[in-house]
Amino acid sequence: MKKATKFSSALLALTLGLTACSGGQDTDKKETTDKKDDAKKSEEVVKIVYARGKDATKATEEIVKAFEAKYPNIDVEFREMPSDTGAQHDAYVTMLNAKSSEIDVMDLDVIWPAEFAQAGYVLPLDRFIEKDGIDLSAYNQGALAAGNFDGKQWAMPKFIDTGLLFYRKDIVPEDKVPKTWDELLAAAREFKGKGGTQFGYLMQAKQYEGLVCNAIEFIAAYGGKIVDENNNVVVNSPETIKGLKKMVEIATSDVVPSNITTFTEPESHTAFIEGQSPFIRNWPYQYALANDPEQSKIVDKVGVAPLPAGDKGSAAALGGWMTAINAYSKNKEAAWEFVKFMTGPEGQKISAIYGGLAPTLPELFKDEEVLKANPFFAEQGFVDGLNAAVPRPVVPNYPEVSEIIQINVSKAIAGQITVEEAVANMEKEIKAVMQ
Amino acid sequence: MKNEKKSERRLAYILVAPSLLLILAVAIWPVIQSFYFSLFDYRLNNPAKSALHLDYSLNLERYLESYPFLMSTLKQEMAQATGDEKEQLTSLQQKLQQVDEEIRADEEVAKRYEQIDEILNNFEVPSEEMKIVSIDEQAAQHLTKTISETKQTLKTLNENGQLKQGDKLTGLANGLSGAVIEPNFVGLAHYKNYLSDARLWKALWNTTVFTVISVSIELVLGLAIALLINKAFFGRGLVRATILIPWAIPTAVSALMWKFLYDGQNGIVAKYFADIGIINNMSELLTTGAGAMFAVIFSDVWKTTPYMALLLLAGLQTIPSSLYEAASIDGATKWQQFVKITLPLLKSSILVALLFRTLDAFRVFDLIFVLTGGGPANSTETISILAYKVMFSQTNFGGGSALAVIVFICVAIISTIYIKFLGADLISDRK
Repeated sequence: MKKATKFSSALLALTLGLTACSGGQDTDKKETTDKKDDAKKSEEVVKIVYARGKDATKATEEIVKAFEAKYPNIDVEFREMPSDTGAQHDAYVTMLNAKSSEIDVMDLDVIWPAEFAQAGYVLPLDRFIEKDGIDLSAYNQGALAAGNFDGKQWAMPKFIDTGLLFYRKDIVPEDKVPKTWDELLAAAREFKGKGGTQFGYLMQAKQYEGLVCNAIEFIAAYGGKIVDENNNVVVNSPETIKGLKKMVEIATSDVVPSNITTFTEPESHTAFIEGQSPFIRNWPYQYALANDPEQSKIVDKVGVAPLPAGDKGSAAALGGWMTAINAYSKNKEAAWEFVKFMTGPEGQKISAIYGGLAPTLPELFKDEEVLKANPFFAEQGFVDGLNAAVPRPVVPNYPEVSEIIQINVSKAIAGQITVEEAVANMEKEIKAVMQ
Repeated sequence: MKNEKKSERRLAYILVAPSLLLILAVAIWPVIQSFYFSLFDYRLNNPAKSALHLDYSLNLERYLESYPFLMSTLKQEMAQATGDEKEQLTSLQQKLQQVDEEIRADEEVAKRYEQIDEILNNFEVPSEEMKIVSIDEQAAQHLTKTISETKQTLKTLNENGQLKQGDKLTGLANGLSGAVIEPNFVGLAHYKNYLSDARLWKALWNTTVFTVISVSIELVLGLAIALLINKAFFGRGLVRATILIPWAIPTAVSALMWKFLYDGQNGIVAKYFADIGIINNMSELLTTGAGAMFAVIFSDVWKTTPYMALLLLAGLQTIPSSLYEAASIDGATKWQQFVKITLPLLKSSILVALLFRTLDAFRVFDLIFVLTGGGPANSTETISILAYKVMFSQTNFGGGSALAVIVFICVAIISTIYIKFLGADLISDRK
């Protein structure tokens, strides 16, 4: 039995070596730990490794610079991971399963903490939070809750993401910005073709995680839910059916590109900044991108609004990233200092200014420098959108649940099954994996 | 004399033994290992199932991460509670304390208990071997029962709003329930589940469709190309080299390339196909099930036909030209020469090429993973993609291993069919 475990970890370590190309790092680390024994703790420089997906902006670099200036005895090395969230998840899981101490601090997508906590990959932060007297009530509570599992805090919220409706101010007059999904469909029909556009509306409908976000938004807007607070599967309801039917109606209408089922974020935002559509559903980064003169043809022409409402109001999928400490890290104290800095007011301010990321500390929305870099943080549409955010199901086996939703919604859009059948399948399959 | 022969034979066996062992280790052992894993409910994201357990044990680290906090929070609650609630909470606390003592009754467990507690208080992480202690079945079941009772009571009290720190208490009780490790041997349950799952059959069907269609097209095209480049003509070397380019491009790269060519807005190939009427509109290629399957097969044919041609060309070059000369003197037509000379002499080359390509196509992964990701609506999900998703995205190693074994069985069946019915002389002892 023991042999089998050893074999599997050896295998995983091998795969890891192949994917992460990590040769050479280990020896460095060993040296630092050896040094630890002879040198005095306070004088010694500790090296920690911080892993996250590709950062196209300068935010990470700036945070590390500011942190190292404040803590000269901690040296932070940045390790780039795959940018696709699914691939990144698989890379972390492989690494942490082999109990690797190669990385110390890592960013987690909001849907992972429950799984990582349950698997024992990340360190519970309660003791540290208590010791340093961090005021958790200063954080956006929805974002904070995403890092909480079984009554403990496993990750600190770093920034918040939410689905928003972006529109072309030069095509769509202020009073025509759609308030409901039916109005959106009508407006998309009306403005399709105006001002050089080809389509009416852009969304993400490929069979992948983004499809789940889009589906959750429609379902919640009509009052439906996938899993309730007590972990009961409640997906088979008239509300969910109504929401998904609206989604299928839009995804199969003539206002979206005919190959919308191959669209992820890059496909949709490219079409939007090329000026091909008056409306798009996307994450907040779309604003900064649309106003980047190097890439965008629609600089200064973009407005933000909350996603359209269904019967029960507007709902947006809660996204965003958290920061956690590897449970096998050898430098937990230093790792915590970095996590504290990065998710605290100083770090979040840097990522808001340089990365255009929405802070999880609401008070930063009033900060002048932050607002100067991101004027749309002050827009009512953005603030309302953040307040309407709903989380995806909080379950430890989220990847399985997500896959079930992806497959069934994808089949419903492709017309292979009806929405009623899709919902019935989801109920049966999610119940089977949750028991 | 006889003895000498016997000892010679023994010597021969000793000489081949190392290679036999090597074959066993390289080819058979991983399959046996996968089969062994597939008998367990082995999930990496669940601490109680992240290793193979044949008997009951307790994860002391997890237990001590929750138990002391649960007890102290319970105590705080009790101080504020009154009447019926207080009674319920007190009885819970007593029961929990009782099982805790029961666990520590074992001397070995008690010793570890203390050690781990100290380690945790120093913010350290105990080693894997250290934190798992085996306990007897009775104690384990008693503990499980008490924890689930505790969870139930706390949940009810919490829902009635009678607790001040309800969420924390239920969370801690949940954490405690992850500490008991039950045997996760499930026997052949994974096979039973998957074989009755429509998704597996759909994936197998997709794999078969892909394999049969693409390999047969490749065979015909490959043979035609091989015959062509076997002829002597000006610039033959250059043609032979260029024809290999598709095969030389890494699969993931060519899949990405085809993804752009098939794109519903800007793809050139999609546009040509729509113009000549193979498809109704450009977006059909990647957004409909049939279109996506066609797109995947088309890319695969483009990519691996050269490989097929290369294998067949090697076979063609072993046929002596004197045979053709003799046949043409006897007045045989080109077609007769092809059917009577080329095909029979090429038989074993064709079989080798078919066997290689069929097995290769059956395991197809990277091309489809990059091109369609198994979508739309799972219409191009093959068995390897399903196994990858189960094993790495869902981190369900038991289920994934079962699927790997199923793939192995399919591959074994295909090879057997080829060798048995088509190519008895392919792998025979006789020269």
